[in-house]
Amino acid sequence: MSDAALRDPRIPAPVIDRPEDYLHVEQTLSSWFFTTDHKRIGILYLVSITGFFVIGAIAAGIVRLALVVPDGSILSNEVYNRMFTLHGVIMVWFFLVPSIPNTLGNFLLPLMIGAKDLAFPKINLLSWYVFVTASLFTLFVLLWGGVDTGWTFYTPLSTQYANGYVIAAVLGIIVVGYSSILTGLNFIVTVHKMRAPGMTWFRMPLFVWSLYATSLILVLATPVLTIALVLVFVDRAFGLGVFNPEQGGDPVLFQHLFWFYSHPVVYVMVLPGMGVMSELVTAYAYKKIFGYKFIAFSSLAIAVIGFFVWGHHMFYNGITQYSALTFSLMSFIVAVPSAIKVYNWAATIHKGQIRLDTPMLYAMGWIGLFVIGGVTGLMLASTALDGHVHDTYFVVAHFHYIMVGATVVAFLGGIHYWWPKMTGRLYSEPWGRVSALLMFIGFNMTFFPQYILGYMGMPRRYAVYPESYQVLNVLSSAGATILAAAYLFPMIYLVWSLWYGEKAGDNPWHAKGLEWTTTSPPPKHNFRKMPIVDFDPYDYSNEPPEE
Amino acid sequence: MSSTVGIELEEQYHDVEQQREAAKLGMWTFLLTELLLFSGLFVTALVLRVMHPDSVTAVALHLKFWIGATNTAILIVSSFIMSVAIELSRLGRQRPMAWCMLGTAAFGVLFLMLKGYEYYRDYVEHMTPFLSFRRYELVGDPASRLFTNLYFITTGLHAVHLIIGITLMLVMAWLASREGFLQKHQNRIEITGLYWHFIDLIWMIVFPTLYLLNR
Repeated sequence: MSDAALRDPRIPAPVIDRPEDYLHVEQTLSSWFFTTDHKRIGILYLVSITGFFVIGAIAAGIVRLALVVPDGSILSNEVYNRMFTLHGVIMVWFFLVPSIPNTLGNFLLPLMIGAKDLAFPKINLLSWYVFVTASLFTLFVLLWGGVDTGWTFYTPLSTQYANGYVIAAVLGIIVVGYSSILTGLNFIVTVHKMRAPGMTWFRMPLFVWSLYATSLILVLATPVLTIALVLVFVDRAFGLGVFNPEQGGDPVLFQHLFWFYSHPVVYVMVLPGMGVMSELVTAYAYKKIFGYKFIAFSSLAIAVIGFFVWGHHMFYNGITQYSALTFSLMSFIVAVPSAIKVYNWAATIHKGQIRLDTPMLYAMGWIGLFVIGGVTGLMLASTALDGHVHDTYFVVAHFHYIMVGATVVAFLGGIHYWWPKMTGRLYSEPWGRVSALLMFIGFNMTFFPQYILGYMGMPRRYAVYPESYQVLNVLSSAGATILAAAYLFPMIYLVWSLWYGEKAGDNPWHAKGLEWTTTSPPPKHNFRKMPIVDFDPYDYSNEPPEE
Repeated sequence: MSSTVGIELEEQYHDVEQQREAAKLGMWTFLLTELLLFSGLFVTALVLRVMHPDSVTAVALHLKFWIGATNTAILIVSSFIMSVAIELSRLGRQRPMAWCMLGTAAFGVLFLMLKGYEYYRDYVEHMTPFLSFRRYELVGDPASRLFTNLYFITTGLHAVHLIIGITLMLVMAWLASREGFLQKHQNRIEITGLYWHFIDLIWMIVFPTLYLLNR
């Protein structure tokens, strides 16, 4: 590149007999397990969370299988309860929370702001070890001992009545929280202190803004979950009774502490997905993003307002009507910044030069699913309607539209978009498009019937249901098999591309952004020369992409 | 700042100033998470106080106010010595700095000893409701168990943090026994100091929340 042009022609060019990218610079096993390179740690996370995703998905498949028949004859009630708990715990803490931040975020954050690495590379590696230790421990507990409380660990069920290894599972989740905290801390410091010269706050890609907002939530909310679970732990182990009404404790207090973490953590799952969306939409509309500052600040607004909506999980769990009203209002307000983002993406696509490649297909699907999930969220935030659908499949469908429809779809879209940067290889475009379409079809077929079921009154977490619900349940289970195929295909063709994929080149999509200015895969310290940023983000000149 | 003081540049940073600022911001962010960790307990304490005001007062009258107050003073003194150590580290005076850090650790140990004595008194006075084999003093007042237990959880968690702090002090003092420590790692003293001050700050909230408010 420009380095070659600048080189003195009298001096012979150095002979490089092996590529110096981060994947090939060292190839021993220990060079992976003791690496401090953020890109390699991102890959380590990618491999581990994919494993947990598969386990969580299998558990979901077993639950869907059991629900094909109304009388609960396939699984015993106990196993059924353990299966949905396994699914919930694994998916929330060991896949969704770390999904985009710890894989794509870890890989891209320093590249996008022109840094050599995260601020604390060793802490980054430590966070992976904490994650792996805690997650393997929890998985062992969930499989061998079993826990049947659901992922929410509501008291006094979890502290007094539940069978199984609640104490151990809670311990695993307390520990994995520290991996979130360490990552959040690392990202915050990196964004503040590691930006390249000229990379001002308003030149940062919107993915970085969303990671920053996510990290604020991780750092502020996770410790509260930690202490709530510590109290569950001591309550169950020593009968301390903070949440036990028999001893004068308050079980609703647990719900307050739990949702003070767990509602903001929904934004931990969806905000990075929104950041990925901002990147995909601009790159494939080949147009400068509409309303950059609005999108940036809406991420922060979601992070802040998200801390004041937790009570909407508890409208009917013993809070006063006045606080229910306040939480309902706040929940409506938190929808505004999300809507701002969707409008801005739509405006970006409008009159863009749209390429319907795989990542863009995921992105288009994302918008549709997120709008449905978001609007049904508003329905649930209205206290009157929530009285009807509270704890039904309507809620299940709603949060799956957000957590799968938004987070997992954005994760897959992002993985496809940055795959050439991460691996230096191109994946198979036809297979990619087929998978993106299958995902959209399979997802809607699985979860839309659940809205109807919930509205008709089918409660969540029950293994048996009236026969009149069977058609929709079978439809949902059939959709889950399509969804499974849509997950399986990318795993196969992406891995296949590692060996047989076409070489990608530095910028196969002709996208803008610092990460596309370095080689694919990038060298160990990301840039051969420290980048100096003198351009705005998404600097698309509205000319057609050179093919 | 004299030339005998400095920090060794790690590879991910462009310059020393960036490294220094990153470390400081990182520690502050971590301390923020610590504050939120304890805030869950403070909220629980306040909820118990609203729900069972009489039981909470009954327990608070059993708490050893003078031990708590003395411990508060001890931590303030330890923080003062730590700030002297930080000042000395900036001047590059490694040996007196290490002695100050040992002094800080000694006051931390003194705190723990008094705390241990307080726990012993609680044991003797049958104020340990979580020990099933032992009679509980306020047995007629079941709600009082909740606050007593919370007292043990909160002060216990604080003590764990203090033990980590003392360990850090000893490790740093040991590292500083070698020549040239401050030329490479002066920053570590600043960061350790931040942590120590913050544990003291947490105690400044624990003490009134448990001992003072409810008497």
